[in-house]
Amino acid sequence: MLPTGLDPLASSLVSLMAIASLLLAFVMLGSRWLDNYLYAFAAQSWAMAGLGVAVGWFAHSPELYLVAALSALFRGLVLPYLLWRMIRRLEVARELHESVRPASALVIGALGVIFALAVSSRIARPLGLGGTVAVLALTVMLATMLIGFLMLAIRREAISQIIGLLVLENGIRLGAQILIPGMPLLIELMILADVLAAVACLAVLVRYLLSQFGNASTAQLRRLVG
Amino acid sequence: MSWRDILLQIAQVLSVLAFAPLLQGAIVQFEERVQRAQGPGLLQPYRDLWKLFHKQLVVPQTASWIYWAAPVTAFTAMLTVPILIPVLTDFPLPLSDMGDILGGGLILTLGSFMVLLAGLDSGSAYGGIGSSRAVMVAILAEPTLILVFVGISLLAKSMLPFVVNHLLVGSPAVYWSPAHLFLVAAFFILLLVETDRLPIHSSTHIEVYMIEEARILEYSGPLLALLKWASMMKQFILYTIFCNVLVLPWGLSQRGSALGAAASLAAVLTKFLLVALAVVAVETAQSRLRFYRYQEPLAASFLLAVLAIIGTQL
Amino acid sequence: MTGALLLLLVIAPALAVLGCLVARPGQAATLNLAAGVVVFAAAVPLTMLSRGGPYRYWGGYIVFDAIGAWVVLCAASVYLLSSIYAVGYMRLLGEDQRLPSFYALYAGFALAILISPLMNNAALYWIAIELTTLVSTFLVAFERAPESIEAAWKYIVIVSTGISLALLGTVLFYWNASFVLGPTYNMTWDALHHAAPSMNPTLTVLAFLLVLVGYGTKVGLAPMHTWLPDAHSESPAPVSAMLSGALLNAAMLGIVRYLAIAERAPSGALPRLALVALGALSLLVAALFIVRQRGIKRLMAYSSVEHMGVMALGFGFGGPFGVAGALYHMLNHSLNKSLMFFGAGNMMRTYGTKEIGQIRAVARRFPVQAALWLAGAVAITGAPPFGLFLSELVVLRAGFQRSFAWAAGLMAGLLIVIFIGFLDHFRAMYFAPQDDEVGAAELRSPGAWCIAPMWLALAPLVVFGLWWPQPLWDFFAHTARLLSSAP
Repeated sequence: MLPTGLDPLASSLVSLMAIASLLLAFVMLGSRWLDNYLYAFAAQSWAMAGLGVAVGWFAHSPELYLVAALSALFRGLVLPYLLWRMIRRLEVARELHESVRPASALVIGALGVIFALAVSSRIARPLGLGGTVAVLALTVMLATMLIGFLMLAIRREAISQIIGLLVLENGIRLGAQILIPGMPLLIELMILADVLAAVACLAVLVRYLLSQFGNASTAQLRRLVG
Repeated sequence: MSWRDILLQIAQVLSVLAFAPLLQGAIVQFEERVQRAQGPGLLQPYRDLWKLFHKQLVVPQTASWIYWAAPVTAFTAMLTVPILIPVLTDFPLPLSDMGDILGGGLILTLGSFMVLLAGLDSGSAYGGIGSSRAVMVAILAEPTLILVFVGISLLAKSMLPFVVNHLLVGSPAVYWSPAHLFLVAAFFILLLVETDRLPIHSSTHIEVYMIEEARILEYSGPLLALLKWASMMKQFILYTIFCNVLVLPWGLSQRGSALGAAASLAAVLTKFLLVALAVVAVETAQSRLRFYRYQEPLAASFLLAVLAIIGTQL
Repeated sequence: MTGALLLLLVIAPALAVLGCLVARPGQAATLNLAAGVVVFAAAVPLTMLSRGGPYRYWGGYIVFDAIGAWVVLCAASVYLLSSIYAVGYMRLLGEDQRLPSFYALYAGFALAILISPLMNNAALYWIAIELTTLVSTFLVAFERAPESIEAAWKYIVIVSTGISLALLGTVLFYWNASFVLGPTYNMTWDALHHAAPSMNPTLTVLAFLLVLVGYGTKVGLAPMHTWLPDAHSESPAPVSAMLSGALLNAAMLGIVRYLAIAERAPSGALPRLALVALGALSLLVAALFIVRQRGIKRLMAYSSVEHMGVMALGFGFGGPFGVAGALYHMLNHSLNKSLMFFGAGNMMRTYGTKEIGQIRAVARRFPVQAALWLAGAVAITGAPPFGLFLSELVVLRAGFQRSFAWAAGLMAGLLIVIFIGFLDHFRAMYFAPQDDEVGAAELRSPGAWCIAPMWLALAPLVVFGLWWPQPLWDFFAHTARLLSSAP
């Protein structure tokens, strides 16, 4: 785990990057435009890569630089590029029908962050880590995952749901970077490759949706009931 | 409680009184210039106030004592708040422990409240509409303002603005912490809302969009001058809180000498210039929102305030 | 010997994948069938050899123990049966040009299912499960009809979301054990067992619950089962059989392994209770939806939810009876569900519809097939003399013995409800009077390739229902010992 006795400026920097990633997830929640989701996701991936570099510096483990670089490359460049190509092929540029207004979604997200903080404090106290970077990591991880869930639940466009899934994975990565930076390199790389494969499969499915229905809105997927 | 401190206190209030119209003029001039127009000139608000003080006062028949009381209350409230906040000096002056950040916010709200009543008082349709719309915006903005104050208090573990100022000047770790930066962002959005900049921009004269203007439609002459001056002073005060307490807490006089106070005044005006540039940049980049979408920037501000409070706990 | 058989188990489907990519349609089906035969032939002796204790290969990345061997056996038998069935069934779909890619995906799917029980590292196990999701999505969407694409989309989104929760649980387990084992270590099941007694209880409970919900989504436990009826009903029948009979077991294995670790950590009664609660809820949901079901394959899918609930109850009750009952249930359910899906697929092709209300007079038209299918229906609702009756009885006994009497009582009651509801649909299909007489010549019986696997699936069911072999008892007892106190 990241050493808990960092000097205040360093810990402020780590906090800043972690919470900036969380904030970018909120940007996705509060906007209607698919392009905004894309840019916010790319920015979040880059912020997480920056966090990875910081953790590698403070935890004195140079292989984290490699992982951060690969993360920035694949999650920050390749994935947004794939998503961008998908969005270009669609006719719509924004969420047309929303079940929850972006403003209300922001408030629900804020409540989710409070819940994540409560859970994290509750976990960290028996471990003796209350008030350290562990609480920050758990809070940001759980909050980003909750926001990913919220996006999956309230959004109708297929691309928005894909981005919600990616935000979910990003959240786990965010927490894992701070809590378990020592995870074997092989596993990190395989999980990254798996995310890429998942997005590729989802892209093919979106193409099926487009060819069958003419649009990629999941609001029309209502035939299978009971 | 030396004479020097009392003089400094009076100087604070007077500088707010004197330079508030200059700030307003600067903002409007920047905006016009950015849009490649001529602009009315930096000193136009002074000329407007002068003109209004020399005009005749016309009072509606249906007006009651509130009509007279509201401008006076608003003006007085705006004169009271500079006593509480660090304008020229970074040490507390006499009577500045009369109220803390929350107290200052409440006094500001008192002024707005009286003007709201005045809008309803004269019984005209526009007054009613303006008041109800203003209250709606206030309902959305006040909780966020309170949360921002709570966040500031949690950050500095005190509710006095002077303590916050010292903390931010003294430790860069707190300055760059996420709690502080999010509070700055949340307060910036609130600043835009409270000073009627886009995307709210209620100070138009088109009937459908009027919020602020509708409340004071019945006023004329010196009372109108007082109201306009009060709103300009409110803007100046909010900028003061934003700069001196949150964003740019440096440059305040530490020993209270005359030269120090004058330099501090110049620094304050420079800081306000920077913030005004930022505000104008944000304003020019977007258009006015529909009334029912006012909740969106305010929800974002609420969210940032909540994140800041979470940040103070982590 | 074990190592060679394992290698054979894995290489056969891999070669089939490569071969199907370049083959013609007729050849592809044969390649797949050959792979199925080889895999089954390797799985049976492997099961008998696995009692020799956990074997580790490849520097500790591959583990082969008793419970993994059992899951492999179930998967292999379903793979063989459905490969036989697919030879005849896929020809009826009329998509001959795309069949080689179908069989390539099919063999790849089988490969992914077969390697997941062998993964020693918990994170690699997660990756294998995620891989099965990605491969099977295209199998579900094979027919490119609107309903298939809808089912595939729901499948991949819901299951990927659930699996992400399982990843969070894995991360939390890694973190929890890193206080004992240091920041970098190979997260094998053995390492977690070793670190378990010193792991923090609160964090262990949280991590297990996340893993339960995550892998539970993949298993199809309620309330995370919403993708299951769609995916299992819209895919072609051989794929449905594989999904129900092989994949759900592989995901259940993860829950069982994590439960063993959570039990070793002093984490109280909540993990077991949560598993039992989800099992009971699955039974309840399945019962409600079976009674009012209108589609023939959705009926089978909800029956899968029910049986996964029974298995969850079995593993949740624990102890020698619970584990034995659940494992016996696993094999019998795999065989039985394959039988049911084969029959349903035949009926769909013959009658041209999925609605129960439009399939009529089955007994009169196709006597042999109808008898097989009806026998399967009686078996799957837990009636004697079939294997599922014995396994459910043992699970019930475990429930009463391990002070989960409320859950066992609920299970018994719901099984009766399901029995009545399920067989009522069959009564309607077989014996209800038909309004309009459709000419017998219009309804062709599917070929021998589609009926032979039904015989092959029914025979062991009858045998296992009448005779529970003593070697199997010993095997299950050995597995239960492994799960309760591993080294």
